[in-house]
Amino acid sequence: MNLDVEEVSFTYPGGVEALRDVSLTIAAGEAVAIIGENGAGKTTLVKHLNGLLKPTHGRVTIGDWDTREHSVARMAARVGFVFQNPDDQIVEQTVGDEVAFGPRRLGRAAPDALADATAALEQVELAAESKTHPYDLTTPQRKLVTLASVLAMHTPVVIFDEPTMGQDARGVALIGRIIETLKAEQRTVIIITHDIDFCATHFERVVAMANGRVLADGPAGRVLARADLLATTNVEPPQLIRLAQALGLAAAPLSVDEFIRAWTRRNEPDRRA
Amino acid sequence: MSSTPFSLYIPRDSGMHRLHPLTKLALVGFALILGLFLPGDWLTYLAFVLVILPLAAWAGILPRFLPAVLKTALPIVVSLFLVQGLFWPGGTPIFHLGPLSLKQEGVTFAIRSAGRFIMVISSFLLLTFTTRPDGLMLALSRHGVPNSIAYVMLATLQIVPRFQAKANTILDAQRSRGLETEGNLFIRLRALFPLIQPLLLGSIVDIEERAIALEVRAFGRAGPKTSLLMLHDTPAQRVVRWLLLLASLAIIGWRVYLGLAA
Repeated sequence: MNLDVEEVSFTYPGGVEALRDVSLTIAAGEAVAIIGENGAGKTTLVKHLNGLLKPTHGRVTIGDWDTREHSVARMAARVGFVFQNPDDQIVEQTVGDEVAFGPRRLGRAAPDALADATAALEQVELAAESKTHPYDLTTPQRKLVTLASVLAMHTPVVIFDEPTMGQDARGVALIGRIIETLKAEQRTVIIITHDIDFCATHFERVVAMANGRVLADGPAGRVLARADLLATTNVEPPQLIRLAQALGLAAAPLSVDEFIRAWTRRNEPDRRA
Repeated sequence: MSSTPFSLYIPRDSGMHRLHPLTKLALVGFALILGLFLPGDWLTYLAFVLVILPLAAWAGILPRFLPAVLKTALPIVVSLFLVQGLFWPGGTPIFHLGPLSLKQEGVTFAIRSAGRFIMVISSFLLLTFTTRPDGLMLALSRHGVPNSIAYVMLATLQIVPRFQAKANTILDAQRSRGLETEGNLFIRLRALFPLIQPLLLGSIVDIEERAIALEVRAFGRAGPKTSLLMLHDTPAQRVVRWLLLLASLAIIGWRVYLGLAA
């Protein structure tokens, strides 16, 4: 299902104008990373996608649902949202119950909710902890529990707010694999991140934001290569792109393989010579 | 002057805002004593109208102050009238509602209690809306109040907005997982249960982290401390503070005397 953000502006009750005339269409199955400095409006924008915030002007539709016409709880059947701080989300006494919380709220029968929870815990490699109290886990593990609790809901759209924050290399790789699985299942994945290398590795489309506006929106290789534009929102291009630019390569490689190909291509005439 | 995070302070360029924090504390304290110690059932309301409201208007915060007082006080005031009015033992019935009757004595007690409650709430809100918490803490420390006690006062002033912000975030997280919070009173009350654990555990963790953060920044160190905040005091304000203190003591003394004489 498509997500449509149409000329949305949003002002917080205190008077802060967090979004200004933002328009965005995300097709079903797309993987989109939203980047930008703190206060750029990233979280405000994604909170509009599940109806937590309603636009001051404009409208947001998820498939045929206008977010203004449905409660957040109802929107949860279509849009899963993994919050930045796991401790704001955890409410149950065991990891298993916590992960089954979402499917139960969506009205699934208890055995189905349990099966969904077990499968999601296996995906985040925490199946052995299903009887553990969530607060007996480390913070990065609790973050994975919150991630599993949204995966278990099987929503067509999944939003992650800074999923790699506080994770070690193994945790980042695990989250990367989960995102690739969601993409393979043709589910729409939206991520807010400051981890530009992670963004370059897993996301085909990047939306850069600054001052409540969309600064750039397009293929990752094109947006992430624009160092001058990214600098205005305090973001640095990924290391591989910076290295390629420093070496004078015309390409904007997003992976080591792409970098090697670009490097080899450039050196081929030299070898022939 | 910008708004401070997790405080109820409303930045305005008003005469009330520019007053020394202790002068504001004395003004609000005097208003509170007027409201609590004046005899009769209606003088408390008069103190609210003649002292608290003009001060809020002077501070330029009336449009936000009045709804805040109403929102905070209304549930307690309504329940006071219902419980005291309908369930006052004995008493003179003034209105019958099926098997229940509204008692005059209960209503009188509710009017008196509600007035006092409104005075306490409005005084607290007036002080917090017009005073930066760090300014109040500094003023108290400079006047001999131990840092730890000043900090406890500051933390008390900040706890409401901190709790509110945390509760909203937790509620958002649960709504995003399908927890219905919109609908009748029963649905809204049921939605509060999942809030309790993360709110309490989060607050305990928060308190511990704040204590550690304070310790590593030499909070417990003895001796004078430097503050980057400048407080402006004037001889006139000092005189006003003493007069307000004396007037407050006089009101309390007068009431004690009346009580003893009776």
